[in-house]
Amino acid sequence: MGRGELAMTRERFESLAEAYGGDVSRWPAETREAAALLMAAEPDFTGAALGRAEVLDAALDAWRPAHAGSALLERILAAAPQARSRRWIDWLSPAALGAGLAAACVAGVVVGVEFSQQSSAAREVAVSNTLTAISSSLDLEEGA
Amino acid sequence: MDDTDPDEALLARVAEGDAAAVRALVGRKLPRLMSLGQRMLGDAAEAEDVAQEAFLRVWKQAPRWRPGRAKFDTWLHRVALNLCYDRLRRRREIVTDQPPEQADPGPAPDRGLEARDTSVRVSRALGALPDRQREAIVLCHYQELGNIEAAAVMGVSVEALESLLGRGRRALRAALADLVER
Repeated sequence: MGRGELAMTRERFESLAEAYGGDVSRWPAETREAAALLMAAEPDFTGAALGRAEVLDAALDAWRPAHAGSALLERILAAAPQARSRRWIDWLSPAALGAGLAAACVAGVVVGVEFSQQSSAAREVAVSNTLTAISSSLDLEEGA
Repeated sequence: MDDTDPDEALLARVAEGDAAAVRALVGRKLPRLMSLGQRMLGDAAEAEDVAQEAFLRVWKQAPRWRPGRAKFDTWLHRVALNLCYDRLRRRREIVTDQPPEQADPGPAPDRGLEARDTSVRVSRALGALPDRQREAIVLCHYQELGNIEAAAVMGVSVEALESLLGRGRRALRAALADLVER
């Protein structure tokens, strides 16, 4: 059947109409040429077979499904891929890396200044606070 | 047969988080999934659940999609049909031997009601078919898949698909005899 049907019997034509319906353009491609030859040779027989199938096709088409509701559409779109994974890529881009390095330098300067001006106990607090701030900043970027 | 996948480029953009591509893919596939679900399950609410679940799988699969292995639409139909079969199996576990409700066979007073009556009768006749016959008719008639693609989705030969279609349509013709006999 896969290489094209050169000659088609009435029985084969009827079984194709019963399976695929009354529109020959929707039959398997390899059957259409032979079907057209039989239709030309036996228009009454083939017309009746297609007519019977078309009536059933029309009855099947009377059943129209409901459209999707807007709430469903919103739920589907809300779960769709967002820019989340891309932001990681953006964060790794040269510009973002540059900004990150600049931020780290500023943080280093702040720590250095505080180290030079404060007592050792106060220094520990300042370092801790600064590292926490940097860490929070990175967390924010990661979580964005 | 054209082997290029018309969804492939869109899917690649979806994987990158392109909002326009996401909307375009939903616009293209949601009506097909709603049609498939309702015709397999006979229930719009369940069809919505199937469509939502199928799209969750799409969103997960999009970044991993390998072009050239299978057509996306074929894969999506297989996913949605599996979800439908899960629900049909659950129904059988709950409902034992209740016969399906019969449509009112009385004449309808106007054409609008008549059309609705035909629609209800067709949905019930389709629902009463064996699952595989219904699946074959849904894929070929309603979803308009070609025979090779439908057979691939169902995991059967083209000959087996044709046999399922023929038996299913003959059963529908008998169930809807007063509508289709001339």
